[in-house]
Amino acid sequence: MAVAVEKKFLVDVTYNGVAKPIEVQPEERVSALLAKAIASFGITQNPHPLSLYREDGTVVPENESVERAGLKPNEVLLLRPNAVKGGEGKLLRLASNILDATFETLKACGRGKHECAVYWIGSSAEDVVDGIEHPAHLASPFGYEIDSKWLTQLWKQLAASKRSIKAQVHTHPGKAFHSAMDDDWPIVSQAGFLSIVIPNFAAGKPTVENAWIGCLQPNGTWRQLASAHEALVLA
Amino acid sequence: MIGVDALSRTILLCRDYVTDEVSDEEIAHAFQTLRVLCIADAANLYGHTAQTALVTLVSLLSRMGMQVVLAIPDLPMLRPQPPIAGKGILSALVSASERFMPGATIGSAGVGYQGDVVFAIGTSEIPQTDASVWRLGATDWSGAIHPAGLTRLPFCMTEWPIGGMVSALLAANEAFKYVMRTFPLRQKSHEIFFEMTPECTWDYGAVALPEDSIDLEQIDFISAGAISQAVLYALSRLPGVQMQARIFDDDPTALSNLNRNMLSLLENVGVHKVHVIASRCAPQFKIEPVLRRYESGSRDIRLAQRVIVGVDDIPSRWVVQREAPGWVGVGGTSHFSISSSSHSIGEACSGCLHPVDDPEQRNLIPTIAFVSFWAGLSVTTRLIREALKTPYPSHRQHLWLTPLRLDQSHAAIWSPVPSLAKCPVGCAASRCRTSKIL
Repeated sequence: MAVAVEKKFLVDVTYNGVAKPIEVQPEERVSALLAKAIASFGITQNPHPLSLYREDGTVVPENESVERAGLKPNEVLLLRPNAVKGGEGKLLRLASNILDATFETLKACGRGKHECAVYWIGSSAEDVVDGIEHPAHLASPFGYEIDSKWLTQLWKQLAASKRSIKAQVHTHPGKAFHSAMDDDWPIVSQAGFLSIVIPNFAAGKPTVENAWIGCLQPNGTWRQLASAHEALVLA
Repeated sequence: MIGVDALSRTILLCRDYVTDEVSDEEIAHAFQTLRVLCIADAANLYGHTAQTALVTLVSLLSRMGMQVVLAIPDLPMLRPQPPIAGKGILSALVSASERFMPGATIGSAGVGYQGDVVFAIGTSEIPQTDASVWRLGATDWSGAIHPAGLTRLPFCMTEWPIGGMVSALLAANEAFKYVMRTFPLRQKSHEIFFEMTPECTWDYGAVALPEDSIDLEQIDFISAGAISQAVLYALSRLPGVQMQARIFDDDPTALSNLNRNMLSLLENVGVHKVHVIASRCAPQFKIEPVLRRYESGSRDIRLAQRVIVGVDDIPSRWVVQREAPGWVGVGGTSHFSISSSSHSIGEACSGCLHPVDDPEQRNLIPTIAFVSFWAGLSVTTRLIREALKTPYPSHRQHLWLTPLRLDQSHAAIWSPVPSLAKCPVGCAASRCRTSKIL
């Protein structure tokens, strides 16, 4: 006869200085614990996104199970606003050759005269960029237009290989910024998608330090990131 | 009774828990009709710590709109207590009547006066009353309140008033909760936040003080709002502190700022905050008012080795952190909670702690006097400890404190600040972590 093993345990969640024990199961997602905590404290008026923090200051990852997050019985968790959640994107890890390849392509195609674009791609299951796609496109000093047949082919290829476009990168003649056209026509319209604009037709060193980098928000607007570090890291 | 404009941010905070059936006017009225009696006898009040506690308490109560009545002797004011001024402490406080907040009167108690809430400094005698009564006590670095009837809490007679200001904060919180208990709340479970605190102490941790002065050297204050004003309010009361400072802000004082801007009075409405502060802190501190915001276009300005950031806008904190050449102290509030942190070179920075912008911060922010002052006082202790070369250890780099129930074991949580791979500042600590950042 199988014996049921009691795996539930309690964690202490504190909000507004008051602690409450909340029951969890190891396989339960942290997001479910968070929802229980918010309901338990009856938080309805605080518009800020909330997260759970450990006493060591680290945030408890919501996409993990309680067990994988390493939560222990009677652990004290602080429920507090977390602006981290405002960022949709996780860190995108770039394979070491991506920046060099991107700049070489943009320079060679644009020749210091025309705008150009590339797409950073990688496995759909990971936040990794390990390849670039240079689209067939028309170009001028003031814009570019992707060939629709090429685009259709790309979507098919990506679907077959379980890969996806992680970010779009294109050049501008002078300063890097996101134009109204850029705002309205990203190749991927999913929250968290990154758009990177490289200044001066990518004439400089292969770095995104002076680039405009934006993250597509759930409401369809773009949020300019304060720096590349907010979204990108070299793998 | 005065309208709700000046108390609008306080009312907004109350709305977290007070049901919509209660009007803004009714919330304001409840605060404006609370009568608070503050008692101190000569023996207890003849000390800078006790005087600072009393002035701070009266200011905090008034900025919540409450009516304050004083049963105290008009002793000489031992040190400056900006923004009030005068020779005697009673007369100076009474002269501030309705100047901290429109309609918030401060008067002298007649014989037999009964308040709704009573606070007594130290071991002062308390007349027979049916009101809720608290005693305040303090050491150099800690403050406490007890319900009357328990052991009498002495005030240390030293001149270091951090603990005195803590005791004022603890008392003001009880007065606030007294009013909140009169309202219907959205949920019964919320009542626990506003229950009376049986007794409590808050201790910032004692460090040895030098016999001579404490030179903070050059400091830049980013923002002249509530946090910076709280820091400067506290610093201006610390004996022997010297500094030269600049303060950056382009905002004029608004009526709705009076609920938390500790150096501002009603007559300052319309005057730029930087000028209010520079004038209030003189002659003790020479503060250069800089009538502009410090932002990304401010690279023509080289920041000082120590910077206090009191600005709500998170991207502005990143800009300052990027440009700051040395120590950065950051204070902020979120509803009833405060966050205070410090960031030396090589430590995880304020970008690691506050990594992504919060658009809600750009809306009207709910605030209240005692929460903002907790944030400022916590940053002040960090600054002093930094100057004394006894900073908090790394496991206390961040303080998250909710003062409503400081008797609870987790009302304050000290923690380290982990460096963040996606730190928007790209600080050295985060670069070490990620090994290779773009």
